[in-house]
Amino acid sequence: MSHKWGLVVDLDRCTGCEACVVACHAENNIPTAGEEQAARGRAKHWIRVERYWEGDFPNPRVRFQPVLCQQCDEAPCEPVCPTYASYHTPEGLNSQVYNRCIGTRFCANACPYNVRFFNYYNPQWDKPLQLQLNPDVSVRTVGIMEKCTFCVQRIKAAEIQAEADKRELKDGEFTTACAQSCASSALVFGDLNDPASQVARLANSNRGTKLLGELGTKPNVTYLERGTWEDATNG
Amino acid sequence: MRMLRAGRIGFLFLLACACVLAAVEIVHPGRATRASGLPEYVTSGVFTPAHPTASAALKDFLDLHPEHPVQPIAYTHTVHLAKGLPCTFCHVGVDQGPEARIPGVKVCMSCHQTIATDRPEIKKIAAYQARGEEIPWVRVYNYSESAHVRFNHAPHIRAGVDCAACHSDLTKQTTAERKVNLNMGYCLSCHTQKKVSIDCETCHY
Amino acid sequence: MERRDFIKISAITGAVATLGGCRSAENQLIRFVPEEDLIPGLATSKPSVCTLCSAGCGLLVRVMQGEAEVVRRGQQGLIKMGLAKKLEGNPQHPVNQGKLCARGQAGLQVLYHPDRITHPIQRTGPRGSNEFREISWDDALKQLAVHLTTLKASGSEKSLGFLSRPLSGQRHELIERFLKAYGAPPAIWYQPFDEAVLREANLRSFGHSQLPTFDLARADYLIAFGADYLGTWNSPVAQSIGYGAMRQGRAGRRAKFVQVESRMSQTGANADEWIPCRPGTEGVLALGIAHVILSEKLAPQNAESRAGSLIAGWSRGLPDYTPEAVEKQTGVPAATIKRLAHEMTKTGAATALIGGPPLAHSNGMFNALAVNALESLIDQGPEPIRTFTPELTEASKVENTSDIQSWSALPPQLLLLYDANPVFSAPPAWRVRETLAKIPTIVSFGSFIDETSAHADLILPDHAPLESWLDSVPESGSSRAVVSLAPPAVLPLHDTRPMPDVLLGLGHQLGGDVAKALPWATYDAMLRAAYLPLRGRAGSIDAKTDDDFWDALQSQGGWWSAPSPAQPAAAQKQAPMAQTSPEFAGAAGEFPYHFLPYLSQSFGDGSVTHLPWLQELPDVLTSAMWSSWVEIHPQTGARLGIQPGDLVEIASQQGSIRAAAVLSPGIAPDMVAMPVGQGHENFGRFASGRGTNPISILVQQGVGESAALAWAATRVKLSRAGGPEQAKLLLFAGGMSGFPHEQERR
Repeated sequence: MSHKWGLVVDLDRCTGCEACVVACHAENNIPTAGEEQAARGRAKHWIRVERYWEGDFPNPRVRFQPVLCQQCDEAPCEPVCPTYASYHTPEGLNSQVYNRCIGTRFCANACPYNVRFFNYYNPQWDKPLQLQLNPDVSVRTVGIMEKCTFCVQRIKAAEIQAEADKRELKDGEFTTACAQSCASSALVFGDLNDPASQVARLANSNRGTKLLGELGTKPNVTYLERGTWEDATNG
Repeated sequence: MRMLRAGRIGFLFLLACACVLAAVEIVHPGRATRASGLPEYVTSGVFTPAHPTASAALKDFLDLHPEHPVQPIAYTHTVHLAKGLPCTFCHVGVDQGPEARIPGVKVCMSCHQTIATDRPEIKKIAAYQARGEEIPWVRVYNYSESAHVRFNHAPHIRAGVDCAACHSDLTKQTTAERKVNLNMGYCLSCHTQKKVSIDCETCHY
Repeated sequence: MERRDFIKISAITGAVATLGGCRSAENQLIRFVPEEDLIPGLATSKPSVCTLCSAGCGLLVRVMQGEAEVVRRGQQGLIKMGLAKKLEGNPQHPVNQGKLCARGQAGLQVLYHPDRITHPIQRTGPRGSNEFREISWDDALKQLAVHLTTLKASGSEKSLGFLSRPLSGQRHELIERFLKAYGAPPAIWYQPFDEAVLREANLRSFGHSQLPTFDLARADYLIAFGADYLGTWNSPVAQSIGYGAMRQGRAGRRAKFVQVESRMSQTGANADEWIPCRPGTEGVLALGIAHVILSEKLAPQNAESRAGSLIAGWSRGLPDYTPEAVEKQTGVPAATIKRLAHEMTKTGAATALIGGPPLAHSNGMFNALAVNALESLIDQGPEPIRTFTPELTEASKVENTSDIQSWSALPPQLLLLYDANPVFSAPPAWRVRETLAKIPTIVSFGSFIDETSAHADLILPDHAPLESWLDSVPESGSSRAVVSLAPPAVLPLHDTRPMPDVLLGLGHQLGGDVAKALPWATYDAMLRAAYLPLRGRAGSIDAKTDDDFWDALQSQGGWWSAPSPAQPAAAQKQAPMAQTSPEFAGAAGEFPYHFLPYLSQSFGDGSVTHLPWLQELPDVLTSAMWSSWVEIHPQTGARLGIQPGDLVEIASQQGSIRAAAVLSPGIAPDMVAMPVGQGHENFGRFASGRGTNPISILVQQGVGESAALAWAATRVKLSRAGGPEQAKLLLFAGGMSGFPHEQERR
């Protein structure tokens, strides 16, 4: 059976440490915008941690929520792209084909999760910072949209290796950069089509919800709700 | 009348130049003030995927590349392959990863410190090594940067694709020549024939 | 020639000239023969050690071939070499078990930072002017050797000073041996916001002068007082791993986490129950809870409790700490105190911890001892949640002296400086800048110009950590004794030399006692000698020969002992401590607000703000990037006419600073908070001239009689000083929304 890549975000484990954000930058050659461009709203964080405040002192509450491309099955960004640069792969990823992109930004406009980023200028690295760039990942140039790819370069590398070894991919054999760094194991990546995989098991949890699921985007990212004290059986 | 036409042509030409130059626009992120007083020669400057010149941008866009670039050493594939050297003797890693390594001067000298040492080209190689320099080979095979294509040699070698399929018959080449037109259509023709994935993301990500 | 023809011809030639394009500069650089044999496109994974905080996590470095611009033998050129592409946690390492925090991930940018000092330099202009000229290593080493021999010859050995950030492992050993054999006083291990108070408290309460380790994966209840244990405190990655497991790692069991603090921290945001407590009264709250437990006999009464005996009145059931009395002091309702006491004793395994701001008050020691006493009351099982990492050897103790103030009276004549920046991170009252001015010769081994190393006369730059032999002995984070050790993951990029090798070379040159104390030519030889004896202990490496053991140490990234049972500390008779109340700097009338400078993941103590990934990382609670800000309660804002994003002036007895205002419900109305780390005036292109340094307005206040700074004890007054255009607060608002200045858009 073919793979269907998915991610689970356990909001009860997430501590808001943002290791995932920096790991993603390091893995995916995301350029640092700098103060001037960031002030124009051009900083790129393929995964970000949102915070929601409720209540007021002395009982404020904060909820952290990592948001990344949901790799929607019914992605609103796909039908609006005039050059078919944003399309759905057989393995369930919403893929961005950089060389097809002509920079209309319709996809970013359509995305309800606000996870698409446009290269308004050719990125720049003060030498020798560019020595860190990952050779397995494209360096995007001006006029191209980019977003989380579920570390497709890692998926491809693992699939090619498994093919060379003439075996199936094992659950946990590889993972995305964000999930790999996550200390509390809030992010779990894997093959939703593999019933034995951790991600498939967690995605079926009764704590599971979809972000903006009511819009019908059918995301492949499942959020597990944060627990409360009363949930524990030893209360 | 002639002057007006020349003026219009000149203006349009300047406009076109401006457009091309805009394609290589670089924007400075953040501050670039260095702690003063430190020499700049190694870590000065910026790296950008933008093309360094307008002509480079044009060449990349039109996928222009020299068919048979002049190399610093007059290497001959014919001679070496005739002697039975396997491709992987020099091009290590082609069956393990994405790149086929161009051998370093050490590889050449591993044989040529004793073989054919009187030939002028061999003497040039020895001179490079004596100076601690690598031979500055000119790259022949590459994809246009704007194609954002990630070619991986290893699956192709493992699938039994012959080097000559893309690099043409090297037993008839001295230095490498780009005889095969490696456009996407060429890749697709083989992929569809062998029933391998033609999904965009197979190569473009 | 006609004018129009001339114009036409020059236009065309001009165009051709542009299109012709010169050969790029890179084509004209020579290519050096590589110093290693790598296959391009294939990655290797090399172990290393993270040095960006004291936790000592193990790393795996992804190394791939790339081409770098370098200078070799005075010539500029290109070389193919292994480049570090990505850092991951080492899955085998017992502290971080394959995980890595945000700061650890960003550490990769230290190696390839554009502001790294690439070769030895000598000062040419006045100190602090950043005017240096390049000199050769021979020249630099000769100069330093001359300084050292001259000092010794004149009998002034005691005038040699060494200032460094705290180091564990053999670097610490090397420096101390060098100084001792030379005849100089011990090094000053300087760390702002250090944990000296907690170590001393743990020594008294539990018999270990050490930061504690918590097996949170087994906990059912955790009450934390002030410690940002999921972000910056102690061993954050190990603690986060345990946190995830304690929440959702066991079917049907989910631990409760209560955070007691006066400002919502990243850690506190994850609490089931967040309890604001008046600053400096956390110890009283802990004893209020203990009072309920003791009086209602909710836990076995451990009459021999060492930690308990340190609190005056413990054996009488803490009569002064009734919930009502405690409510008056702390602001926490009595009913809450009673409920918490019942909750934490009814669940399975419970623990309490304290760190950060509560220890940074004048009564920090009391707060620490109080929480330790509570902890010993609720964590009484045979396998306590709170343990201490077994010591590796006698020599692996971490010292923590911040007594840099002693130098202002008697400054050294020659100061060796390594990775410490007190000019930036020490309060003005310590007069570090003035002290440095009195020191005739300052030599730095650091890799960057910062506020302190800018005063150096000579800089002999160290390799970056990934280019160095690294070892560290984590003080906490594991129930096993651990040594993290790794060879360099990549070859040196610049003309730098490893500091340990430089010291060893100098020692050899000095001869006599110093040479005898340091008989190794290189640091790895010293490491091998130091850690080979571990081969005889039960642990992670099973080797038949010394060489095999040494190889395995390098390839695994270290050695860790077999799990050993925790040893309870012996009971000891010590004088109990009466309650002390916090004292604040500044009269409440004139300075109505408590000022809390806090450590954050992205900035730390300011030593990592030169990394662009961390500057651009949106602060998790405010989403601010590239900025400084001050958090104030909306009521405070309303009262003073301060809107979100406005420029605010914060003034203490010591001085005043300005920063953008963030209105936050997570802070008490009589408190303001500001992250530490920004406000550098001289620390590279990404950090300089950015934001404000809250340390600059801290008033000198000690924690009890110790030298530790009570950095949470300063009081301030506030006023509006300008609008958002002046404050320039930069917030991250998601993908393509273009309105980052509206604070409401989160």
